[in-house]
Amino acid sequence: MEPIIETFESRKKHMCVKGEGISIPVCDKASLPGTVTQRTCVYGGARIVLMPITDSIHLVHGPIGCAACTWDIRGSKSSREDLYKKGCSTDLKEKDIIFGGEKKLFETIMELNKIYSPGAIFVYATCVSGIIGDDIKAVCKKSEELTGCRVIPVQSEGYQDHNKTKGHWIGGDALLDHVIGTKEPETTTSYDINIVGEFNVAGDLWGIKPLIEEMGVNIISTLTGDSHVDEIAQAHRAKLNIVQCQKSSNYVAKKMEKKYGIPFIKVNFFGLQQTINSLRDIADFFGDEEMIKRTEKIIESGLKEVEHKTDEYKERLSGKTVALYVGGNKAWSLVRAFEELGMEVMMSGTKNGIKEDYERIKETVKDGTIIVDDANSTELARLLKKYRPNLLISGAKEKYISLKLGVPFCDFNHDRISAFAGFKGFVSFAKEVDASVSSPVFELPLNNLGGD
Amino acid sequence: MSCVNIIEKERNVVINPLKTCQPFGAMFAVTGINKGFPIVHGSQGCSAFVRYGFARHFREPSEIAVTSLHEDAAVFGGRKNLVAGIENLALRFKPDIIGVITTCSSEIIGDDVYGFTETARENIKKKMGEDSHEIEVIPISTPSFVETHYKGYDTAIKSIVNHLARKDEPNEKVNIIPGIVNPGDIRELKHLMNMMKLEGIFLTDISDPFDAPLRPSKVTKPFYPKGGVSVDEIKDSANSLGTVSICKYAGSGALSLEKEHKVPAAVDSPPVGLQNTDKFIRNLKKFTGNEIPNEILDERGILVDSMADNAARYLFGRKVIIYGDPDITTGIARFVGELGMEPTMVCTGVKSPSFAQDMEKIAKETGSEIDVMVGQDLRAVEVYLKENPVDLMIGNSDGRLISLDQGIPLIRVGFPVYDRVGYQRQPIVGYRGGLYLMDLITNTILEKYYEPTHWKLQQ
Repeated sequence: MEPIIETFESRKKHMCVKGEGISIPVCDKASLPGTVTQRTCVYGGARIVLMPITDSIHLVHGPIGCAACTWDIRGSKSSREDLYKKGCSTDLKEKDIIFGGEKKLFETIMELNKIYSPGAIFVYATCVSGIIGDDIKAVCKKSEELTGCRVIPVQSEGYQDHNKTKGHWIGGDALLDHVIGTKEPETTTSYDINIVGEFNVAGDLWGIKPLIEEMGVNIISTLTGDSHVDEIAQAHRAKLNIVQCQKSSNYVAKKMEKKYGIPFIKVNFFGLQQTINSLRDIADFFGDEEMIKRTEKIIESGLKEVEHKTDEYKERLSGKTVALYVGGNKAWSLVRAFEELGMEVMMSGTKNGIKEDYERIKETVKDGTIIVDDANSTELARLLKKYRPNLLISGAKEKYISLKLGVPFCDFNHDRISAFAGFKGFVSFAKEVDASVSSPVFELPLNNLGGD
Repeated sequence: MSCVNIIEKERNVVINPLKTCQPFGAMFAVTGINKGFPIVHGSQGCSAFVRYGFARHFREPSEIAVTSLHEDAAVFGGRKNLVAGIENLALRFKPDIIGVITTCSSEIIGDDVYGFTETARENIKKKMGEDSHEIEVIPISTPSFVETHYKGYDTAIKSIVNHLARKDEPNEKVNIIPGIVNPGDIRELKHLMNMMKLEGIFLTDISDPFDAPLRPSKVTKPFYPKGGVSVDEIKDSANSLGTVSICKYAGSGALSLEKEHKVPAAVDSPPVGLQNTDKFIRNLKKFTGNEIPNEILDERGILVDSMADNAARYLFGRKVIIYGDPDITTGIARFVGELGMEPTMVCTGVKSPSFAQDMEKIAKETGSEIDVMVGQDLRAVEVYLKENPVDLMIGNSDGRLISLDQGIPLIRVGFPVYDRVGYQRQPIVGYRGGLYLMDLITNTILEKYYEPTHWKLQQ
């Protein structure tokens, strides 16, 4: 069978076409050394899960680079504090490598507590702190006793695993072990829930929250978009967890079910039908007649609000093809949203997908769709050149590869500036996708002056 | 009264850093080589985050490979990954140069990078045989817990030059070490040298790799952006008339060429502003004997003319703070002094030995009292500005929240600038760079301080 594109022997099985050959690509393997992988490390995974917690300081225990490259790069928005936007590091130097960095870490935590009095200080381990064997747990415990401020260790050494998903789990563990269950809410209702796996990138959460609250549901906490540590501490009293980003947060939901008996349902707020299904699923869970009626009204008014607002965009987008190269959740959760715009998803790939994710992708896409795992820059460029989709959805590192090849691009990663979740979000989504596909630049003949 | 007041960092923690780690500088340097490919010997995060940083500042793709060290490498060593990594890179991309950049992990676990690269080289020869034209593989030792990305750049240039420069017939060129600057700056230096009828060997030249045209038909297999200094040119650098390093933190390459190959070196502040650019031109003249043509004097004259037009009326006495790269900051400080403004405070993230000395000279020149923050961060700048408000901030995009919060306009300069576009194409060096910077400063001041109260701006 002709290979999808030319690549290294060991990489061939990482790509497949649905309906032909192998059913899901080989995945969850270490990247080939020497390729330009799009993956980041376990520390990156932990950081993106915990960073949106607004009233906390995120302290990186390592050399300056890990913190300097990652402070305030995630577009999570906050309605209250902005402490989470600070980039703090213990800036380990050669002396600390030799003699150990624990003393410096302790002093750093004291200083930060004095300057900011934060709701919590999360201390992230890095490759270096792991290799030199600093006992971050002990330092955190001691400083918590002395300051009375929560100091939470996150064992996120970057080299731990080839898959950043491990980092998501480690971030989840930090919350489960040290935060959730440490505070009792003043009052509880029968309709308390947590929203799990929603990081409020570009204000997504603010498109979902009003819908749910109008239903009559009470949101105790969000893990972790626009949240306060104290709210998360009360999360164990919820009657239900709804999980938006299942890749990063199924783990936390499963553990909460085991430990506290809180059931969870999977939701998806990208796309109109999926938003509707999710709201109905929540109402059905509680089984309250009044709530179910209210939900239908919310759906009706939500649909009415967006009625016709996307017609203009759909006209231009109908029949166009789109390639997805995103995280393990969006690779399947966006497919229906694009189909609602009249577009065809011809490729779906992830950087860090595991078997579950690819099963899900396979279920969702049509026959003939290409499914790709951990494509490096060269493979991505070859795929784009060969299949020429009308749009690529990915993140900042892939943006300029795609543009250089003349393939329009829309950022659906943490540099996003408009909210895409919920009803109103769907209109913004349509608008931005249309802007990317229909921009006149790509209609202009790109090879025009002859001799090019 | 002129003096400097040196303010050192008093706390342990770094909040909102003005620096990053060594590998960044080395990756930057290797990108400036034609068909050069950096490979990072460390975790995947090390390359991915830096690529993200480059992408958002330059709006260009940056290809950096990584050996993907994981837990087993931390225990058993990274030999397998490094050797396989270099081989895969060579086979797939057929580069002219592979820069092997170490990180904290690989340095601490003690990998013998020099030895492993030799092994990889042998393997490549065997596997590719006749096909393998000489692929240079250069180990660059950049542990992230030592100093900053400026040192990483310096070490990379030194390693590249030591490895490649070969004495041969003298050429009529001048080597230039530009430092971590924008493509616009390098193009401006080339423009100045053109007017002096000189050709330069840039160690290294990121002007085209980080600012390339969109021409899909030109996307080759394997894809390399055009431009960059070639391996042959680097080899030829041993035969030049002189080396000018325009940043004091990257002098090692120049001094090495002087020691090994008798190529005279000049290590100075960047040519930002009138006098610094004059110095740069004089250095070129010193090494080559070429005359300074009228075109340069005219271009200089236009800057002076513009300064005469605007500096006294709108800029005199305005208080400015500048933060960022130690050498660009001193260059701009001197320039704002030339414009009659007061550089009230300067701040850099690195403990540069020459920073304080340079600022003392500038303080004497301008007659001002300057607060000099060495090895500090943006939180220090934030706290300082609350007690010492100024008219203008000059620095990178990371200061935008301070600017918003305190209502002080920010002139974006340096790295990274990610909340505006086109800055990577504008020079701040040379006479034209001075013009651009001056116009930007003046227009910002007009918009902020004059527009709201003067209904008609004229003259």
